[in-house]
Order: sequence, then structure tokens, then C-alpha cells
Amino acid sequence: MPSIDYNSAADITKRLEERLVESLTGETSVSRRTVLGGLGVAGSAAVGLGSSRASATSDHDNGDEHGNFGAVGEYRDLNFDPHEFLTAFNTGESGQDNVPQQVYEEDGRTVREFEFTAVDTTIAIAPGVEFSAWAYNGQVPGPTIRAVEGDLIRVKFTNLGRHAHTIHPHLKNLNPRMDGIPQNGPGVLDTGESFTYEWIAQPAGTHFYHCHSLPLKEHIHRGLYGTIIVDPDPERVRESPREYVNYPGPITDDFREQLVAEAKSRNHEYAENDAVNEMVMVMNSFDTNFDGGNEVYAANTRAFGYGVGATDGNGNWTPGETKRPIQIDKNERQRVYLSNATEFDLINSFHTHSQFFDYYDHGTTLTPTNKTVDTIMQCQAQRGILEIDYSDHEPGLYMFHAHQSEFAELGWMSFFEVV
Amino acid sequence: MTDKTRNSTTDGGVPAEEEITRPLGLPRWVSALLPIVLLVLVLGVFAFTSPLAGVQSGEPLPDVTITHTTLPSDETVVLHVTNNGPESVTISQVLVDEAYWDFRVEGAGGDQTLAPMESAQIVIPYHWNPGWDLDVTLVLSDGATFDNTIVAPSQSPGFSLSLLGTLAVIGLFVGVIPVALGMLWFPYIKTMSDRWLHAVLLFAAGVLGFLAFDAGFEAFELAERVPGAYEGNLLIVFGIFGALLLVQAISAWREGRVAAGDKQASSGLWIAYLVAVGIGLHNLAEGLAIGSSFALGRVSLGAFLVIGFMLHNVTEGPAVVAPVARGERPALKHFAALGVIAGAPVILGGWIGSLAYSPTIGAFFLAIGVGAILQVDWEIARMVRDAGGRVASATNLLAFLLGLGIMYVTDLFVAL
Repeated sequence: MPSIDYNSAADITKRLEERLVESLTGETSVSRRTVLGGLGVAGSAAVGLGSSRASATSDHDNGDEHGNFGAVGEYRDLNFDPHEFLTAFNTGESGQDNVPQQVYEEDGRTVREFEFTAVDTTIAIAPGVEFSAWAYNGQVPGPTIRAVEGDLIRVKFTNLGRHAHTIHPHLKNLNPRMDGIPQNGPGVLDTGESFTYEWIAQPAGTHFYHCHSLPLKEHIHRGLYGTIIVDPDPERVRESPREYVNYPGPITDDFREQLVAEAKSRNHEYAENDAVNEMVMVMNSFDTNFDGGNEVYAANTRAFGYGVGATDGNGNWTPGETKRPIQIDKNERQRVYLSNATEFDLINSFHTHSQFFDYYDHGTTLTPTNKTVDTIMQCQAQRGILEIDYSDHEPGLYMFHAHQSEFAELGWMSFFEVV
Repeated sequence: MTDKTRNSTTDGGVPAEEEITRPLGLPRWVSALLPIVLLVLVLGVFAFTSPLAGVQSGEPLPDVTITHTTLPSDETVVLHVTNNGPESVTISQVLVDEAYWDFRVEGAGGDQTLAPMESAQIVIPYHWNPGWDLDVTLVLSDGATFDNTIVAPSQSPGFSLSLLGTLAVIGLFVGVIPVALGMLWFPYIKTMSDRWLHAVLLFAAGVLGFLAFDAGFEAFELAERVPGAYEGNLLIVFGIFGALLLVQAISAWREGRVAAGDKQASSGLWIAYLVAVGIGLHNLAEGLAIGSSFALGRVSLGAFLVIGFMLHNVTEGPAVVAPVARGERPALKHFAALGVIAGAPVILGGWIGSLAYSPTIGAFFLAIGVGAILQVDWEIARMVRDAGGRVASATNLLAFLLGLGIMYVTDLFVAL
């Protein structure tokens, strides 16, 4: 500590606080009630009564005196595991049990086919707090679709919800009938109706899909959204590297190879991809009391789902059953496919502690749009790829969270545990 | 004449000898019990067969009231909550200033679920800042939220003997001493002519009338914080009528005694006691407010305030003793008793308010005070009339107005 010691600091604080209280009590307009009540203000204690005011003591022996921050209790609903969701990629060849899928060739093109069903369900968004959700295949965020650039994504969609829904992909879509909006193609699908959407997987990058029924705010924030990852095709990158960089200069052979290598590391069909730990995160939020503001924010639905179970405020912590940090291997490169589905608020953000990363906005380039940053922001439906390297870091907890403090304290506060 | 007295009872009813005493040939008690038995049967059938089970018009909304908050230390916030809704609610999370925070629920049987009408305390370890508003939100299991802002928080004193002592001293100064001082006008009042005595009595009625309005408004104001299930406003109506009718019944019973020749019952002392009780109830409510604001940490006692209270309450003294100004002077012990009945409840109210504060109790006591005061005003008017005076004489009306006016002005001192 600098020049003043704790005791004198406490005294000063106390004096300042008392002065503040005094000035405030004077202003507080108290009703007759509170004063029969508020027993007024003026004068000193004529009858020898001391002030009942709190004397703020400043002995903080441990963090508990400040109270423990965070959501109380564990999640009891085990239908959704945010840790499994991180790495649950549905490619057609393999994926989640609740997403029927297959992959096959058709007209010389790889087709990845998925069955999507919109249902009304209830999800846990904080321990003990349930939210009435509309969900693709019963989960929020919806299943992550993963394809390779140029593939055909075929989604057999059936709406089993009470309201009419669609699926609108944020892809370069050449057929307006497949746009998944109320005004075109099949329009909205009423309860029991089905439609097969077909989209070409382009451009390479990380993309967003969501229901486009109206009212849009309701349909999105109830949970109808998810991620589509389009892996770059290294051969295509080799042929037309300019499409993958925001760079006008000459493309040297070295540079071309570097881009191809990056494309291979992004493409799940290449061995180079296995060396990278890839995670999908959708920043989302929930308005539980219909006031047009969110009570819960999270990465992947659950408030503090990637938090710690308990901490004594002195650096000792334990993982909870359902609230626990994301464990990562420090020798692996980390890649986060991040998108923002937050409703009502204009932006959301992602901030890493003690760490800087490369950010590829929309994931459509193979060179970073932001190099060496520790905070990025996204508007709704914006997405991007973060590449993070923890190889220099000591093992332990590294926080990441929205750097809107309000969002962080309402649930969007998470940890990597580097091991 | 004899015929008449035989046929009418004291309450003016007519004997029912000519009525059929055995309807349908059943004994009287059977006909009294029959509807009750049938009601129980119907309720039983309803409960077991639930014929309306299929009729569902939606779910009742959860309703939780945060009646008040206490801050026992600068590390702790305690919310006092009641479930008003017809269904159980579970308090799943708590937000402090829009951040999820640790908490525990005490007094709800070990879990976080409150049955209908159940109350509990929510204890939040939070290092709050004196004077900095604190917003606390309860998040129920279905995501419904209930919000409460603690304005300019300051520490609640909590229970201690010294607090009780403090409240006793306050009560002495704002309740007992001013009333006793006011009663010292007795010898002077005694020398007054009937006309002026009646004016003093009407002045007292004005004082009481002001207090009735004052307490009534406060009661309804407080009722807004009474948990909905207790129907705060109706509780006040019940309190007012309950007290009014109860005191009136006692008064009527006294008149019966007077008619029967009980001399003691006819004296002005009786009315003096009624006035003392009415003022005492008012002062009890005043004490409750003082005590509860202590409990809520909302008190900073100043000399000016105490002086205001003393001025305010000193007018209550002559109101108490005016009814005994005629006839024989009652024994001194009666004066002591009158003073204690009228003034000491401030102390009692202060203790109750600081130990077991709740808006429900507060509103109810205020309502009882209003009822008692209204009855006393009625009684005073009759007293003046019985003594041959005219209640609505110019002097009396102005005296009444003066009573209202003085109370209004002195009230300004305590309503800072």
C-alpha cells in the first residue's frame, strides 16, 4: 500500500461516508409516515440519543464479507450440457443424437442433410430459473451445422411448435425461395407443416441461422437460432486466394501456402484441423419478465455455466457439478466460433483476461481482421472466429466475459481452466 | 302500559312465542345446524370429486411482496417477503443492482419455496454503502421478478436492551411528558364557565378529529405495503369499524348501568377514560411508527423534532381532563392513570414497532386508533348536549376549528 495505512484509510472513509449520509438524509424527502417515522433531521440529539447510523467498518479479512457473487445453486435440468454443446458439430457424418443427419453425393456435390424440428420447450437459464423457449430440436442454441465450402446443406424442417416458424440462413443464398422469410418461398410454416430448405455452403466462415417469423424479437429471443460453420476448401483457396484476404498486394507463393495451411486447419476433413480445439459459443440472453430487458446473459444459454462452483475469494475454487470452467490444453491452439444472438441490447462483446487473440470477423477471411486484441464487439447476428494461444500461460483460471459489466454480472462470465 | 313492557325486550325486539318453535317438526337446534351440516357435505363432495377440475382458465400469477428490508450490518441485507399468490413460489435467484448474488432463505422450512401466505427472510451477504440506493430483485423459478429499492440505506439498530431504553426515553418525551403537562391545565379548566368548558371540549374534539384523519391517511398509505393477501385497505376498514363499534358497545352498556342507577358509571370520568384510550391508541400507532423507523434504520433524532412532538402532544392533555371538569374532582390516582393510558402507549408502540415491525400490524393499529377517536368525538358531542349546551354554537365550532388548526400547525414540526 502507498503512504496511508489501512487504519487511517478506514477513518477517512468513515468520515466521508458519514458526511455523505448526512447530506443525503437532509435531502431524502420523507413522507409523514416515514417520519413519524423518519423522525426528522434537524438539530442534535437533545435527549442524549446517539445517531443510529451505521459506522462503516473496513475490516475485510476475507472476501466473504463482501458476499459471494454469482448465481446460487446448481442446474438440475440435465437435458442440455453446455460443455458438450461447445464441441457438438453436426456434419452429416457425425453429430448429435437429437439431430438426424446423413451425408451423400448428388450431382457431383456433397449433400449434408439434417432434420430440424421446432418445438416449444422449457430450458434452464440460471439455477432454478426456467424459461419458456422455442427451440430447434429442443435445444438453445440450436444444433451447430458444419459443412465444407460448396456443399449443399439440406434441412428437412418440421414445425411442431404452437407458432409459425422458419429457418433463415445467413449464407450467400442464390435462391430467394430458400431464404426462410415470411414473404417468400413457403413463407412461415404453421404447426405441423414441413419444408426442405437447401442452401449452398458459402462463403467460408462462421454463420448464423435463425427463425424469421414475426414478431422477430420474440422468435429470436425465445431461442430459435444457431451456428452454421462453413469450412474453407484448401484447394479453392489455392486457386483463388484473393477471395480469402482483405489485401490488395501481390500474393507470393509463401503467402498462398500460408493461406492454404490456415484453410486446412479450419477444415474438419483435414488432419491439420485435429490439432486445434474448436468451440462454438453463441452469446445469448433472456428476458424473463417481459420488460424488454434481459435478466440473464450467457455464452451458450446458461448463466455462469462456464463459471466456478465455489470460491473462497482467496484464489481457492472448486468446480461445481454443472457450473465449471472450460478445461483447455495449453499446448493446443484454441478456436472459438463466436456469434451474437442477444436480443434487446445493441451489442455484446467478448473479452479475454491476460490474453490477446486474433479475430476473423464473420470468419470469411484467412488473415485476421483484428490482430492481437483482447476485446471485440458484435452486433446481433454478427459473428467471427477467435484464435487463442495459451501455450505461454501458466496453468490456472483465465476469465473471459462480456465487457458490458451488466451482462457479465447477469451471467455472461466464464473461465478457461488452462491445464 | 304493563302490556307493552311485557312484550318488548330491552333491545326493542318482539318475543317470538307466537312463532313456530318446531319447524317441520324438528327440534330448534336441528334446524340451526342443518345448513352447516349440508354445507360441509357439499364442500366434501366438491373436494373429493373436483367437478371443476376440467375448468382451467389459466394459471394464477405469482405475487410476492417485499414488505420491508432490514440492514443488520453493513455486510448484510435482509428482505422480508410474503407470498401473496394462491400458488407456491420458489425464489431461485437474487439480483443486487443487476448482478446475481449469493443469498439464503430463512424461515421457509429450509428450502427456497414459499407456500401461499408464507413469509420468509432473504438474507444477502452484500457489502452495501450507507446512503447509496440499492436495488434488489427476486427472480422466481419461472423468471418472474419482484423488485425493491432500498433508498439511502443505513444500518438498522437491531435488538438490544439499550434500544428498548432509548425508545422508552423517546416515548417519555414525546408521549407521557407532554400529555401530563397538558393535564396541568385542569385546575384552570375547572374554573371555566360552561360555555368555555364546552368550547374546550370541542377543541379537544377538533384535536382528535385531526388525529383521526392523520392516522387514517397514514393507515391507507401503509396499506400499500401490506401483502395483498391480507387486503390492507379492508383490514383498515375492519379496524376502524371494529374499534368504533366495540367502544360504542361498551359505552351503550355503561348507559344501561347508568339507567340502572349506577352512579359511578355516569361520571365524566368515564368519558375521560375513553378519551385517554382513544389518544392512547393513537399514540401507540405513533410509537409503532417511531419504533419501526428505528428498526428500518430511518431515524435521526433531533431536538427540533422532539420539541415538535411535545407541542403536538401537549394539546392532548386538556382533551383528556376536560370531561372531568364538572362535579367532584376525581382522585389523583385517576389523573395518573389517565396520563399513563394516553401517553405511555408511545413507549409500548415503540417497542412493538422496533421488535416486530410489519406494515400489516402498523396499519391495523392506526385503524383501531381512528375508530376509537371517532367514537370519542361522538361521545364528547353527547356530553356537551347532555350538559344542556349546544354542540354547534359559534364558540364551539370555532373551538373545534382551532383544535384542527393547532394540530395542523404543530404537525408541520414533526413532518419534516
